[in-house]
Amino acid sequence: MKLKLRLNGTPHEMDIAALKPDLELRIDGRSHALRETGGIGALRRARIDGEDIAYHQARSGNRAFLHLGGRNWIVEFVDPRDAAREKVQGSGDIRAPMPGVVVSVEKQPGDPVTAGDTILTIESMKLQTNLTAERDGVLAEILKSEGDVFEKGAIVARLQEEEDSDA
Amino acid sequence: MRRITSAINTASAEFKTRAACNRARVAEFREMQRAARDDRPERDIRRLEKHGKMRPRERLELLLDPGTPFLELSSLAANTEYDGESPGASIITGLGIVSGREVIIHADDSSVKGGAWYPLSVKKIVRCLDIALENHLPVIHLCDSAGGFLPLQNQVFADRYMAGRIFRNQCLLSKAGIKQLALVFGQCTAGGAYVPGLSDYNVIVRGTGAVFLGGPPLVKAATGEEVTAEELGGAEMHTSVSGTCDYPAETEEEAIAIGREIVQQWEKPKKWECQRDDPVPPHYDPQDLYGILPDDIKKGFDMREVIARIVDGSRFHEYQPDYGTTLVCGFANIWGWKVGVLGNNGVLFNDSALKGAHFIELCNQNNTPLVFLQNITGYMIGREYERDGITKDGAKMIMAMTCSHVPKFTVMCNGSFGAGNYGMCGRAFDGRFMFAWPNSQIGVMGGEQAANTLADVKAAQMKRNGEEVDDTVLEELRETTGRAYMEQLSAYYATSHLWDDGIIDPVDTRNALGMAITSALNAPLGTPGYGVLRL
Repeated sequence: MKLKLRLNGTPHEMDIAALKPDLELRIDGRSHALRETGGIGALRRARIDGEDIAYHQARSGNRAFLHLGGRNWIVEFVDPRDAAREKVQGSGDIRAPMPGVVVSVEKQPGDPVTAGDTILTIESMKLQTNLTAERDGVLAEILKSEGDVFEKGAIVARLQEEEDSDA
Repeated sequence: MRRITSAINTASAEFKTRAACNRARVAEFREMQRAARDDRPERDIRRLEKHGKMRPRERLELLLDPGTPFLELSSLAANTEYDGESPGASIITGLGIVSGREVIIHADDSSVKGGAWYPLSVKKIVRCLDIALENHLPVIHLCDSAGGFLPLQNQVFADRYMAGRIFRNQCLLSKAGIKQLALVFGQCTAGGAYVPGLSDYNVIVRGTGAVFLGGPPLVKAATGEEVTAEELGGAEMHTSVSGTCDYPAETEEEAIAIGREIVQQWEKPKKWECQRDDPVPPHYDPQDLYGILPDDIKKGFDMREVIARIVDGSRFHEYQPDYGTTLVCGFANIWGWKVGVLGNNGVLFNDSALKGAHFIELCNQNNTPLVFLQNITGYMIGREYERDGITKDGAKMIMAMTCSHVPKFTVMCNGSFGAGNYGMCGRAFDGRFMFAWPNSQIGVMGGEQAANTLADVKAAQMKRNGEEVDDTVLEELRETTGRAYMEQLSAYYATSHLWDDGIIDPVDTRNALGMAITSALNAPLGTPGYGVLRL
């Protein structure tokens, strides 16, 4: 399995060539031998390609922070699931998932919205459901008002067309 | 597995309103639970003291291993019945650890009406023994009951699931090699005598413990013979003459100590090998649940937010995230155990029902226990959905769920209405354990809907009889039936009638499920297979 990571924002590819006797990493096609040689807390020691190195390390979620040779490094592990999701663009149409009635309208045409914002609240089958924006944008129109009934699949609100689809 | 990213803003006004509402609900529940456990008439307490008896919960404290959890079941049974005179249905049941063994405990509560069995007491004991049978859990009976509550004997004695079922279950437990120990602290009379009589092991306390089919008054009435309880069925006689009891004890403390030593001799059962990882607590604080659950049953919430506060590391592998989105399905771990979670995010449509059925099949193929998180107003109704076969799609889900050979667990998180209750493993579907949150409601339909339906029926009836339809009469009917119906929808009514295994604080859900799953793994898996799926 190849891992993708970003070192201070620059992408690199890494895979593990061997675990024993030393960890052998292949980074962007070049092999490096690595062995942890000790450390206390955040202060770590390692031997990399025969050279002894001391560094500080902290981790938070998908990121590791290194202090090494007087410089700071941020290593980010790129999760392919996150990378793929970033590309998905939601539709600008807000459709009713089921027949029902509008309980309240939360936004007005012209309002800027971010993905996940509630535009309208509907009630169907004794349950209120929030209809939300699928992407960021500006609300173009709301086609139903409080008390209106609608069929499944009806468009109840619309976002403005995106001006620059490459953005 | 990926960590769920919570979208909850704990600083928002909505979160704070909901949290205040749900914290108040939980405080009310805790107070009811405390009262049911501890508040007893002075007279009853003095009577126990006079006989040198401990209170049932003091016995439990001595019996259970120190520092281990005890999961009490149905602590508010009978809370709406018998004018509140039978707190907890006068029975304490629960999962606990004794001498390192997982056991289930049935303790008569002699601190109320001499521990007499009300109809719901019998139901609670039968349920306790059903749990023992289904999960292969050894049983410890703490016997101290005056016997059936005579004024209600017609609801205690004769039918299939009444008192006889206790003894029937005891026989089946023994046959299955599931151990039982009875500690006799008081008189076990008539049917009650069979509790120690049908246990593999029993201990009897000298002076207060007694076992007989008919007590001294009955003997005198029947044959004229005058005999004391101790002579008739006391410790001395039964442990040295009749062999009905095994070990005499001088005090209750000694009886419990002997009981613990007996349990120590029992083999430890092997659990079936459910996939397990190292347990880790959820990443998100379970206390957030108070602010996630709505203050109004009609308002929605994202079940993923609930899952994130129950499962290990808040990690969840969601299955078919973009299909049938009103049913959230996926894999997670609870206390390390791999489980398949099904949670409602809205009404069940054709696609969500199909997805549910499919996911249940995947879990069965993978020997993964199922956890149902109910917040369901039903399957979608209407012309389009019937034409699309919503009934047969729902039937598939019910078939797959019912025929599952993996253990099932259900938590009533909010609403449970109509057939949705069935598809999501309601009480009738043999889930191993079922817990309810204090805010939850259950009924054939919602309160408003029921009142309107009844009013419509009444109006039609008036028309048929040629009467004029009187709106004030209808309004009154709507009002009165609505109120009565709402009372029956409440979680307290449900738990009172043992439609679940107890109300729990939402924050305790992870631990309750953890103990329930751990217990359930003592029984081997069932036989795989399904009935006919209407495709």
